[in-house]
Amino acid sequence: MSEKKFLKNESVIPFIEGLAGGRKVLVPVCEGDAVIYRPYRKDCRLELTRMPTISPKDATFPRTETLMTFKQAPVAKTEGDGEGDSDAQPKLELTETLPEEKVVVFGSRPCGARGKSIFTRVYETEDVKDPYFIGRRDNTLFVSIACAAPETTCFCTSVGGGPADTTGSDVILIPVDGGYVAEAVTEHGAELLQSDLLTSGADKAGEAEAVIQKSMELLGDADDFSIAREKLIELFDNDEFWFDMSAKCISCGTCTYLCPTCYCFNITDETAGKSGKRIRTWDTCMSNMFTMEASGHNPRTSKANRLKNRVGHKFSYYPSLHDKVIACCGCGRCIKSCPAAVDIREIVKSAQEYEDVNE
Amino acid sequence: MPVYDGKELRIIGFLCNWCSYAGADTAGVGRFQQPTDLRIIKVPCSGRIDPLFILKAFQGGADGVLVSGCHPRDCHYAEGNYYARRRLELLKRFLPVTGIDPDRFEYTWVSASEAPRWQHVVQTFTDRIHKLGPSPLLAAPLTDAEMAKLQSQVEAGSGCGCHK
Amino acid sequence: MTGLEELKTKILGALPELDVVIGWEQGYDALNATPLFIRKPEDVERLIIGPLCAHNLATYLPGLKDKKVGIVVKGCDSRAVIELLQEKLINKDNITIFGLKCDGVVNLNKIRKKIGDLGQIRKVVFDSGIITITAGETDHQLKFSEVRMDKCDTCKYPNALLFDHFIGTPDDRQNGIEPEHISDAEFEKMSLEDRFAFWKQEMSRCVRCYACRNACPMCVCRDHCVAVTRDPHWISQENDTADNWMFQMIHVMHLTGRCVECGECERACPMDIPLMLLRRQMNKGVRDVFEYEAGIDPQGKPPLLTFKVEEDNIPEREW
Ligand code: SF4
Ligand code: SF4
Ligand code: SF4
Ligand code: SF4
Repeated sequence: MSEKKFLKNESVIPFIEGLAGGRKVLVPVCEGDAVIYRPYRKDCRLELTRMPTISPKDATFPRTETLMTFKQAPVAKTEGDGEGDSDAQPKLELTETLPEEKVVVFGSRPCGARGKSIFTRVYETEDVKDPYFIGRRDNTLFVSIACAAPETTCFCTSVGGGPADTTGSDVILIPVDGGYVAEAVTEHGAELLQSDLLTSGADKAGEAEAVIQKSMELLGDADDFSIAREKLIELFDNDEFWFDMSAKCISCGTCTYLCPTCYCFNITDETAGKSGKRIRTWDTCMSNMFTMEASGHNPRTSKANRLKNRVGHKFSYYPSLHDKVIACCGCGRCIKSCPAAVDIREIVKSAQEYEDVNE
Repeated sequence: MPVYDGKELRIIGFLCNWCSYAGADTAGVGRFQQPTDLRIIKVPCSGRIDPLFILKAFQGGADGVLVSGCHPRDCHYAEGNYYARRRLELLKRFLPVTGIDPDRFEYTWVSASEAPRWQHVVQTFTDRIHKLGPSPLLAAPLTDAEMAKLQSQVEAGSGCGCHK
Repeated sequence: MTGLEELKTKILGALPELDVVIGWEQGYDALNATPLFIRKPEDVERLIIGPLCAHNLATYLPGLKDKKVGIVVKGCDSRAVIELLQEKLINKDNITIFGLKCDGVVNLNKIRKKIGDLGQIRKVVFDSGIITITAGETDHQLKFSEVRMDKCDTCKYPNALLFDHFIGTPDDRQNGIEPEHISDAEFEKMSLEDRFAFWKQEMSRCVRCYACRNACPMCVCRDHCVAVTRDPHWISQENDTADNWMFQMIHVMHLTGRCVECGECERACPMDIPLMLLRRQMNKGVRDVFEYEAGIDPQGKPPLLTFKVEEDNIPEREW
């Protein structure tokens, strides 16, 4: 790791404003009770102590992203008869809209920044390269704040992360008395820290260490979710188990939309008059529409099937395909914001502990 | 010669087939002068009009919406306009909650033979919409002034305890 | 809410005839309750009642239409059951209602608004109007009246209005109840322009998760909601302010005269959008014009499903 610097509380705003010079800066702000990421504005209600309600994935995988725009070109008149060629197919003008904007997310949590590493394994492979995601990812830097006071819903240490995990971050800030100890994780991060607002933080290393240690203690013992891979597959056809687990689920999209690792999308053409755009929007496997086929057939009509997919995908199918990496960062958003408090940890544990009484 | 030549606004009219649409037709055939801002959509009955049609029109940027059906007791389908009246009245009372001026929406009854009445309705409503000017747009981003005002309202109120 | 033991006994007695009884249990921490589906007698042990039991369990009834279901309801929840019965969306023969008297329920958002993230919640104690939350090493004390749900500030129906078993003694609390919520009065002072800007700002953070819709006991279309059909194309998939706004208009319009003000939509919203303001304002219109409140009388008729030739409160059109 690189050298430790110190950013005092009073310098946070000037530092953010400095970042804003060359990039769009997204910061967590408080709106109602929700903490969401918004472009930095002077006097915005910056909120750095609370865990943002929504993950920062919007920066690299927007709620709505225009893939291209299209417009029906006026049909050219043919020479001579002065009449338009009525048989001619109207021509479409297509414009690709690749992301170019440079962005920095200030104040994400480690679990939020980590999320995009789950995306990369899917959207940047040998055969498949998603230029939209890759473009945004490469244009976006993350300055994350380590967690000093984890919530009861946090379980990052059970899924490979931790309160000061640096995966996906460019800079990590550890809250200490009077400010933050700052450490660059990547070269880009080191550039961001080339600012006069930071002083040396070498003397605060011990304090930072203690903050993380305390946080780890609060989180308690990590759960071992490794056998979930097989267990969830074994339970795949156990309808009763899944009906039980999903009884209180109301099939909304809160869990998946707030989640830093859910990467499913929908593509639609939205037109108005003779022009329109092809957009990609977040989709959710908890919705009935997710698996609706063009024929009208739907293989997942019950919420039990859908919840099985969400849990199975994160804790079994994805890890089986991707070096046992669990597709969950343990941020707990799906638990805390769920209207029915469906607890993904409990479901995985129940699966792991499940014993067939009939056997 | 259109009254508001060159400065037309977008007014959407939902008219029932049997009375108001026919009434508008009568007015046209009788060459009653009318402003031309109104774009008419014909529906079978005012009872067919979902209040969401009107809200959808506003969402799309309509400057005014006019609904017209048969007079009460005169509905071609006997009861459609009675149901419509209830829905439309509630919508009219609800509009100000969204911040849309309730004057941008009106519902009225015009029969097939009431050409002068139709002319009066269109003229009065169009004039009213021109007084109000173009609708505010949902799609337009908030201005800095609007943002600042919203923020001051939040701060003046109970405020947000998480920001301490 | 009192009478947990009495309730448990009643449920145990009824359970053999029922497929499931829906109540609440302790959730992921001491400040969290979650719906409980009781199928076996031993599940009854986990049952809790009290100020954390905010969820309106009536939301689950239409999805369990063909089952024999028992349900535990507060006053406001019972209104949703009544409304569902009125609209024949559920069948009373299949439902056994365990009615409670309620002293109000907590809004977790308000607690977060007051003290921020709580960290590791260890203990929660309710005592004479004060809630004490032990989180980490700190004790936070809050007045219950400041952190209860808005609907409880103005609650007229703390007792279940319809029940097969009533637990405890009904409350005849009527005093001190504001007819209108304070936030409505504040809102009504705003100009049209300000309101328009206000909703634009609020709607801009909606992620269109449809939690508000799916938590609503009266939103029975769910999987077939017009918001997700492509034809007719009521709203675009685009998650922008105008479409988010339109979705709320759909919800409000489809709930006109049916909304029982249970507040589930707003409680469910992860973005804390003040959805109840829209619903309360619409309900006010319904009260003013039709002198009607949804979910009070099982024999009543929702006002938009009927009419009068001469309406009492709708003026004649002037032109
Ligand atoms: S599944 Fe839940 S806990 Fe895991 S990353 Fe997603 S929102 Fe967070
Ligand atoms: S509204 Fe009334 S019945 Fe419902 S939770 Fe609040 S106090 Fe209880
Ligand atoms: S619950 Fe909130 S965020 Fe979700 S769709 Fe409804 S208003 Fe939007
Ligand atoms: S709209 Fe909201 S308050 Fe009304 S019934 Fe539905 S969830 Fe309850």
